[in-house]
Amino acid sequence: MERFQKIRNFCIIAHIDHGKSTLADRLIESTGTLAKRDMQEQLLDSMELEREKGITIKLTPTTMHYTYEGEEYELNLIDTPGHVDFTYEVSRSLAACEGAILIVDASQGVEAQTLANAYLAVDNNLEVLPVINKIDLPSARPEEIKKEIEDVIGIPAMHAPCISAKDGTNIDQVLQMIIKEFPSPVGDENGKLKCLIFDSYYDNFKGAICLIRVFDGKVKVGDKIRMMHTGKTYEVTEVGIFVPFAKQKDCLMAGEVGYLTGSIKNISDIEVGDTITHDDDPTNDALSGYKKVQPVVFCGVFTVDGAKYNDLKDALEKLKLNDASLSFQPEVSQALGFGFRCGFLGLLHLEIITQRLEREYNLDIITTAPSVYYRVHKTDGSMVELSNPSSLPSPVEIDYIEEPCANVHIFTPPAYVGAIMELCQDKRGIYKDLVYLDTNRVKLNYSLPLGEIVYDFFDSLKSRSKGYASLDYEISDFERSDLVRVDILLNGEKCDALSIIVHKDKAYTRGRALVEKLKKIIPRQLFEVPIQAAIGSKIIARETLSAMRKDVLAKCYGGDITRKRKLLEKQKEGKKRMRRIGSVEIPSEAFMSILKLDDEDK
Amino acid sequence: MSAIYIHIPFCRQKCAYCAFCSFAKSEDKIDEYIFHLTKEIESFNYDKVEGIDTIYIGGGTPSLLKTYQLKRIFDALYKKFKVKKDAEITIECNPNSLTLAKAKFYNKLGINRVSLGVQSLDKNNLKLIERLHSPSKALKAIDILKESGIENISVDLLIGLKESFSSFAFHLQQLIEKGVKHFSLYMLQIERGTKLEKLVNENRDLLLNDDACVEFYQKAVEFLKKNRFLQYEISNFALRGFESRHNIKYWTGSEYVGFGMSAHSFFSGKRFANSSNFKEYYQGKREFCEQLTLQDRIEELIMLGLRCSYGTSKKDLKNLGYNIEENANFLELVKQKIIKEKGDRFYLNPSFYGVSNDIIIKLLP
Repeated sequence: MERFQKIRNFCIIAHIDHGKSTLADRLIESTGTLAKRDMQEQLLDSMELEREKGITIKLTPTTMHYTYEGEEYELNLIDTPGHVDFTYEVSRSLAACEGAILIVDASQGVEAQTLANAYLAVDNNLEVLPVINKIDLPSARPEEIKKEIEDVIGIPAMHAPCISAKDGTNIDQVLQMIIKEFPSPVGDENGKLKCLIFDSYYDNFKGAICLIRVFDGKVKVGDKIRMMHTGKTYEVTEVGIFVPFAKQKDCLMAGEVGYLTGSIKNISDIEVGDTITHDDDPTNDALSGYKKVQPVVFCGVFTVDGAKYNDLKDALEKLKLNDASLSFQPEVSQALGFGFRCGFLGLLHLEIITQRLEREYNLDIITTAPSVYYRVHKTDGSMVELSNPSSLPSPVEIDYIEEPCANVHIFTPPAYVGAIMELCQDKRGIYKDLVYLDTNRVKLNYSLPLGEIVYDFFDSLKSRSKGYASLDYEISDFERSDLVRVDILLNGEKCDALSIIVHKDKAYTRGRALVEKLKKIIPRQLFEVPIQAAIGSKIIARETLSAMRKDVLAKCYGGDITRKRKLLEKQKEGKKRMRRIGSVEIPSEAFMSILKLDDEDK
Repeated sequence: MSAIYIHIPFCRQKCAYCAFCSFAKSEDKIDEYIFHLTKEIESFNYDKVEGIDTIYIGGGTPSLLKTYQLKRIFDALYKKFKVKKDAEITIECNPNSLTLAKAKFYNKLGINRVSLGVQSLDKNNLKLIERLHSPSKALKAIDILKESGIENISVDLLIGLKESFSSFAFHLQQLIEKGVKHFSLYMLQIERGTKLEKLVNENRDLLLNDDACVEFYQKAVEFLKKNRFLQYEISNFALRGFESRHNIKYWTGSEYVGFGMSAHSFFSGKRFANSSNFKEYYQGKREFCEQLTLQDRIEELIMLGLRCSYGTSKKDLKNLGYNIEENANFLELVKQKIIKEKGDRFYLNPSFYGVSNDIIIKLLP
């Protein structure tokens, strides 16, 4: 039997929380790849934060061996992240496989990312096999879900294994299905080297490491290789596979999945989707599907304690080691001092990074409201791209502005369609269509400005659908839009970190909501402080923060002195979390508050 | 060291707002307490020959003591210390437990100043805060004191209780006419664990809100000023020459020693306090003892000085290594006329006493 026929490369795709990582763990356990005692709950999710959030960000491939009908097979599992922010990474992981297991929750059924991921797999010519998970739940309705898969996604599902990854029920069926149903890889192991980089990570000793799928040829230690898109060349220092820990091998051959090191210093030198070939005997055609990853969501990141700027810089550099999609550049804000403008793949990515900064690096940080990239066409014919509202040129210099838009697909029970359409309308959405997938599920398609999506859209969607709606989107194009910058003035002084770019029609309501919110958040000062929202020099909303009246210790005698001094010290410590704009002190929460304007109004 | 504080932790009944160290209905324990208190005085390790200039007997309710009990304390004090002839000796009295006989005895002992816990002359408010005396009883107490020969009378009043300012002003007027020389006006603070805290939680409108409280206070300051009372500290007002010498020592960083349960001392660079539990106090245990750092001393000078009309000396701060003129907040506050300067000293503009904490914090190093 040919070597190829005993290899299966596959991945698991699912909507968030449908049990992807749990199934991966179970497969590793059932194949004896790792003894049960070495299993950590959800082994593949190696980061603490991922485990806590129950979501996978980083992909870790695993090679397993399974004997079926007397033959030993090599199964390469490539785990994929299940979030909309990481669609490109998912697509590259899919490109490294021949088959995909599509997990569907036995009670929840097809969700937005089930469909998005299934289509992504089909687009990559993968054999997609559904698996119904969580059949141990009392609310499980596997037969209905199978039908739903056939109706909604259009792939056969009647023979889909019904499993419980949690209990380990019917895991063997899945393994057998992998061998029987998934195609084995094809390729020419004597051909010119062609490997796909589907992920990378950083190791303190070995440097940046490429995770690869070899399509043609073979690669071994000492080979001189070239990255076809970046043009960079390296000498291979190590190749190997994951079992699930890294294990060195002599070479990796066509059809196999593993890793490759080559004294690559920076992870940014490795681009996911790039093709590796031999430098002296290159292949003619690179693998298709390569895209340069661009951040789409931006925000300013500052430390609460301004003196910790260097700590923040170090932390971001360390995070960047393992996350090529994170970008950052220094930024100076009058209000917040020195910090960085960071670019992310999406809101989840933003959230993960800021939480890691706080948790792993012990930094108290302030983030400004997330924004997107705008294309500003000036009257002199030039065009600038910017994401920081405060760098928007003055209105007289602007001819027009374009903002990025996205095609949004929302899955929801029909009961919430009205509320969701209202939300989309409110967010300047353009209705595309509405499809009834079955009696209790509707798919809504809208085109929405990305700027509106990053501004609390997820939360609003969740609250309006009681958590039932799910969402998927892909960035479409830039569109011309009537945008203005709303500035916030405190005691007549502009606070740059509170400026936002909004559509002209919403400027007034947003400005009004913002000053009202700030009035609640900013503590009273020694003097009366006007809080104003303005477009250019025109004031559109105003609130007045009355002067503080009482902040005094009743008495201070012999017995009190120590206690009172400590009270004052504590009060002073609290002030460290405050930022000053002119003579006004504002708490760091104020900068984040812009995001939460809508919650309270509704 | 020229000041002594004596703590008497007994009361007939605990007031609704009180979080001090005092115990109600424990009068049978007083003799035992006095025994330990005098023992503490006797064994005090003190070899500097310096006359005692002020003595303050506070509580609790010191006027609850019987004459022989008070005498034991004074005997112990006079035996141990050299008390100056013109020393200021203050005792805190509750209008309810003060009698003419006691007042005369105080005078004989050398007590020449009384701080009277009137708190309010409004009948309903007295009931609310659970004071046992009536308004007339409070006024009567002043007559008793004067009859006994004690002229230097101070009255404590609370601000923050609900009443009209005109009625409060009328009460002040009555007290001034009776011959009160000194007032302490305290903005009522809700302390944790007190009965008042519970009541306020049940009814938010029970007391004046913060803004109204400060406004009330400022009106009271104005009223007293018109009547020639000088505000020498945030809460303290006196006719010229009747400022409390003892309290000024607290606020200027002078040394003092406290005897009795939970009594605090500031002595040879340390602040310490006795335990506030009978058993532990009798065993000689301390609640805490801390050596002040340079930073602590600077903070104290600013915190205490800015509460007083005479302010803080820049030179004193500089000697401790803090040049306040390099603090940008200081310069800004001077520009805003919130902080005023007079020679070497800077002080807080009295219109901003209500927000003194915020300003003090800005000036700390």
